[in-house]
Parts: sequence; C-alpha cells; structure tokens
Amino acid sequence: MSDEAAEPGQHPTQSKPLFQIGPVAVSKMLAAAVVVLAGLLALAVWLTPAESEEHSESLIHVAIKGEALFHLGPIAVTNSMIGTLIATVVLASLAFWASRNSAVVPGRLQGFLEFPLDFLGGVIKAQHPTRWRAILPAIITIFLLVLVANYVGLLPGVGTIGVNVVEDGHEAVAPLIRPASADLNFTLALALIAFVLFVSWGIRANGLRGYLKETFVANPPYMTPLMTPIHIVSELSRIISLSMRLFGNIFAGEILLAVMLALTFAVVPALFLGLEAIFGAVQALVFALLTLTYITLATAGHGGGHDEPHDTHAHDADDVALRAAAH
Amino acid sequence: MDLTPLAAGLAIGLGALGPGIGLGLGVSKAMEALGRNPEASGALFVPYVLGLALTEAVAIYALVIGLLILFT
Repeated sequence: MSDEAAEPGQHPTQSKPLFQIGPVAVSKMLAAAVVVLAGLLALAVWLTPAESEEHSESLIHVAIKGEALFHLGPIAVTNSMIGTLIATVVLASLAFWASRNSAVVPGRLQGFLEFPLDFLGGVIKAQHPTRWRAILPAIITIFLLVLVANYVGLLPGVGTIGVNVVEDGHEAVAPLIRPASADLNFTLALALIAFVLFVSWGIRANGLRGYLKETFVANPPYMTPLMTPIHIVSELSRIISLSMRLFGNIFAGEILLAVMLALTFAVVPALFLGLEAIFGAVQALVFALLTLTYITLATAGHGGGHDEPHDTHAHDADDVALRAAAH
Repeated sequence: MDLTPLAAGLAIGLGALGPGIGLGLGVSKAMEALGRNPEASGALFVPYVLGLALTEAVAIYALVIGLLILFT
C-alpha cells in the first residue's frame, strides 16, 4: 500500500484511495461496504424486539417429531403429512402441466423442469449404459420429491402459522405445515424404498443365487465368518445413514432458521434462507446420487454380462427416447 | 445442576471437528485438481458431492445424537 502511494501512476485500474487510516488506504468501495453493513446492523438492532425475562427461557419451540393435528380414524394426521401432501400436489400439477403444454423448443418453465432430467439422466446413462431407462424414473422421482419437500420448508408461513393442539396433557402450538424432510418418518420411508430398490436391482442383475452369494459369502470363502456380519451391517447402515443425513440436514436447517428469526430480526434470516435453498438442492441431489451409487454397486457383480450386446447405435436410440420422454 | 445442554453442545461441537477437517481436505484437493485440469469439472462433480455428503454424514450423526440428548 505504501509504495502505491509513492507511485500513484503505477496502477491505473485500481480505484484511488479516499483517505488513509494509518497504513490502510480506504477506497470508495470499502467505505461504501462498511457504511452499508453498519446501516444494516443498526437496522437489525433497532428492529430487534426487547428481550422480556419470562420468554427468554424458551426462545424457540422445537419438536423433534411431527405433531398430530387431528385424527382420521386410527391414523393421526401430522403436520408433516400436510407438508408431504403439498409437495406431492406441486409435483403432480407440474407434471400435469408439463405433459399438456410441452413444446419441442422448451419455454422457460419447461426448460427449468427439464434441467434435472437432463443432468441426472446424463449421470445415470454414464453409469448404466444398458439399463438406464429402467433406473432413471426412480432416481429422478426421488430427487424431485426430496427437492420439493425440502423447499416446502422455505415457504413463508410454514412452521410459523400454527394451531393449538393438546399434546401430552398440556396445550401447545403445533405448526400447521412441517416440511416433510424434517420428519424422520418421511426420510426413513424414502430410505427403505431406496433399500428395496438397490437390493431388487442386485437380484435382477445377478440373479437370486448370485446376489445371495455376493452378500453372504466372502471372496476367499474362509473369510466368510468375519466378513459376512460386517457386510450385513454395512448394507443395513445405509438405511440409517440415508435417512439420518436428510433428516438431520433439513431439521437442523429449520432450527437454524428459527433461531436466526428469534435472535436477529431484519436481514439476517434472509441470508440463511438462501443458504437453506442451496442445502435443500444439495441434499436432494445427494440422496438421489447415493441411491444410484448403491444400485451401481449392487448391479456391478461379476456375472453382469447378460444385457451387454447393445452397441452405440442402441445408445443413440436411447438418447432419442430420453428426448422424447422429456418432451 | 442440569448438564444436559452441555452434553448436547459437546456432542455436536466435538463431532463437528473431524468432519470439518475432512471436508476441508476434500474441498482443497478437489480445488487443486480443478486448478490443474479445469476440463475435469464435469467428471469431478458427482464424486465430489458424494464424498462431501459421506464426510458430512458423520457430523449429522453427532447432530442427531445431540438432538436426542436434548429432546428425549
């Protein structure tokens, strides 16, 4: 900085320092950024409600499971079921719209809807050149459902508008809508579906005998007593890790948003909404990609040579079919 | 004195240490690879995201344990 001051003509592109505080040259941009940040901070401090003593104990209300809103016969309808319903309705209406109003040259919404299909379709095709057509619908359904279920939590009013319910004897406010992925029931159900999917793909690719041999007999057979329990545990722990990852991320995101709303007021929670939007997409992608990876691992057994004789010509035909399915 | 909140805080705090270091290592290596060969970004993306997700899962386990300590 000091030699810049000594030779002012050296850096014509750099903005001229306004003034100097000791050795630091303060440029216009830096000064503007400081002023804007200080203004936002002052606004947030000014808008933050004064802390009252009796409410400071329970700043936010956190429920680890979905609260039952009402009972439909023996089934308790929880707020996360409402969230799942919203996600399903959004997806179904989008699918309905896309099936009616699709053009060869995609418009804005259609292009937006085709993007995950194109991207995930490419990934699936790269890993399963022969049977991607059977795997693709399940993976993309999982991706879209998780994505929309995550994004339900970012809608205004979700988690903040509630009704009074009686739970465990005392009255509490239950949010009317809870994002489905913030409920372990939803993520566990999805993980079980994924488990059935990759086990059935393993059986389909290697045959029942091949799959059982792959799972229960280690490669040098004398290692079986040691390896088989480890293998079974690792297969089953996939259910736990899949469901816990999604649940933990989205639930923690909800708590983060609630805490930020309680601690700060004006602008800060909006930043975390943006962060949660990224996390929601990443977690949906991760769930879908992990399911795909488990399917790949299950089908990759040594006997998987039956449906290989497709050539590049068949791939071209598949590509055309993917385009047709997208349109 | 109720030490339950301390236990929950320690669970997630200590549990985030390892995954934090691991995520940093993974991202730094990925960025290094990307800097050496920017064309590989397409091929890198899926393994990168999967690796980050698997590393981050450890922190999520700690988070779930913390939540269980706090709320059950």
